[in-house]
Amino acid sequence: MYDLFIGPLREIYFQKALIGGSIVAIVAGVVGCLVVLRRMAFLGDALSHAMIAGVAGGYLVMKLLFDFEAHAPGMLLGSLLAAVATVALISFVSRISRVKEDTAIGIMYTGIFALGVVAVSVFRHYIHIDLMHFIMGDILGVADSDLWAGAFVAAIVLSVIILFFRHFQLATFDPVMAASIGLPVLVLDYVLTTCVSLVVVSAVSMVGVILVVGLLITPAATAYLLSDRLEPMMILSAFFGVTSVVGGLYMCVWLDSAGGGAIMLFCTLQFLLVLAIAPKYGLLARWLRLRNLVPQQVTEDILTTILRYNRETPLTIVRQYVDSGKGLNRALRQMVHNGLLLKSEGGYTLTEEGCKEANNVLRAHRLWEKYLENIGTPKDRLHTTAHHLEHIREDGTVEYLDEKLCNPEHDPHGQKIPNCKLVA
Amino acid sequence: MTTNSLYAVEVEHLTVSYLARPALLDVNVRIEKDQLVGIIGPNGAGKSTFIKAVLGFVKPDIGNIRINGLNVQKAKGQVAYVPQRGSVDWDFPITVKEVALMGRYRQIPWYSSPGSKDREAALEALKMVRMEDFADRQIGELSGGQQQRVFLARALSQGSDILLLDEPFAGVDAATERAILDVLDRAKRVGKTLVVVHHDLTTAAEYFDKLILIKQRMFAYGPPQTVLREELLSKIYEGRLRIFGNVLKSEES
Repeated sequence: MYDLFIGPLREIYFQKALIGGSIVAIVAGVVGCLVVLRRMAFLGDALSHAMIAGVAGGYLVMKLLFDFEAHAPGMLLGSLLAAVATVALISFVSRISRVKEDTAIGIMYTGIFALGVVAVSVFRHYIHIDLMHFIMGDILGVADSDLWAGAFVAAIVLSVIILFFRHFQLATFDPVMAASIGLPVLVLDYVLTTCVSLVVVSAVSMVGVILVVGLLITPAATAYLLSDRLEPMMILSAFFGVTSVVGGLYMCVWLDSAGGGAIMLFCTLQFLLVLAIAPKYGLLARWLRLRNLVPQQVTEDILTTILRYNRETPLTIVRQYVDSGKGLNRALRQMVHNGLLLKSEGGYTLTEEGCKEANNVLRAHRLWEKYLENIGTPKDRLHTTAHHLEHIREDGTVEYLDEKLCNPEHDPHGQKIPNCKLVA
Repeated sequence: MTTNSLYAVEVEHLTVSYLARPALLDVNVRIEKDQLVGIIGPNGAGKSTFIKAVLGFVKPDIGNIRINGLNVQKAKGQVAYVPQRGSVDWDFPITVKEVALMGRYRQIPWYSSPGSKDREAALEALKMVRMEDFADRQIGELSGGQQQRVFLARALSQGSDILLLDEPFAGVDAATERAILDVLDRAKRVGKTLVVVHHDLTTAAEYFDKLILIKQRMFAYGPPQTVLREELLSKIYEGRLRIFGNVLKSEES
């Protein structure tokens, strides 16, 4: 046990990976919330791919003009420029042509990614970039400079988001209102895109181009399933980002696997787990809700049975007339809870509301019967067919039937049709 | 300067175009204060362009818009906007209380957080639309009419004198329509001017003090009985007028 958990913590590489990964995961989680809510996930993917051209460009310029080898700030600036250029090209193409935005994103980022790949291979004598490292990332071999870059980016981006939280919230939720009170919506868009680019750039060295979008959106989506407000969502998302990094790193040490892959795998499993058990928006909760839903037909049958019985109705009578299998007790409980029925020792009675509702159903049932008789339905099938039709009551259906049948007072079996004054 | 104008919204010679096609052509209208005004017109008549112009989003080819006597570009925030229900992301992680609080965002400087005064104003607005009991609900859990009222509360907490509503009655049932109208009436009584885009001619006369009839051009502005005239409507709605025959008759009686 000790070896499994504490052992790796003594290794310098593991400590660095843990710290660097957590910093990046926190800021990616926070920004990711806005990315998820604005449906920009694909754009995040695009930015990470476009970076390679920027890194190559930055490397080349610094090398040829100033003779700096692998100048980190130069490459960072290059990737940012590439990201901004990609976004500008995407919005340009989708605005002036009939090509829609998602296609424009696909075209532009693959194009710029390809440009980067070609540049790296053509200038391979000047540029020493390991493409594999770029694509897969290397969190276990994270350099001190990457660590500092990550911390710096995190500090800037988190400050921006915290300071302008309300602005981003409003511009994301309702851009029209944001603009109407004079917020610079377009500027906010660009600031957010820049933040996303910064985060992506600082995360790529750790998890690689392909997986970085996962770090951006998966923790945010996980938090989305658990929160009804934006602030808690951001905090939870940062938390899930960190747990992914911690869990993933241990997984990678134990299984001796690739670092970035292990982190994203852990992150995805975490999402699936939350998706299954989230209390409000999870699959289990959804299933339970559906199971507890009392079918309308059963409710209506219970109501009319008790109305026809016209006094305290014992359970046995209800069971005799209502065909609902096992769900009957639950249905009755639910209806008592909803104020339609009163439970007493000898059975069930209708509340005022329940009585009104029952009369509505009965009235619809008997009017449908009358209608069916009029259109020549055989007498022995009147009741069963009307039983299926009685739930169609809204948008003036009942009034239409009543009018068309010249306000009948009795149904084909000679029973009184309840007064329309009771119809809500 | 802002308060001594007689009119809430003044539009003069407004022309807005998309390429060669005018969305609005020479529209002139002066909306008096404390009115409930409906904007009617067929689909594609330029109703939404008119709204955008009053919010200051579109640059007119020619013409002036003044809000409370002030040029529209300088009057940002004086018109509160209530969006169409379909344009809102109801899954957004936000509660009723927070939406109402958004109305205060303009007054809060960027470096500080909403204070107790802002929270009170937001709650006050929620009370006005009778939604205070739902303050902590996520907005997707509400019914259509309740959602509409929450956004109305946001507009009220904004403190603007002019409210702009985009089809608030779209897709709600009759009872809800009543409830919303009730809130609109109350807002009018506390001195708001409400401009409402409306598509249902059968209820237009009953709901509004004045109507604006537009189809690219301004066809009429005034009390319902002067706007809902057969020759006007038949010109604007062309062949589809037969449906409205009974509207006109009930107006005359």
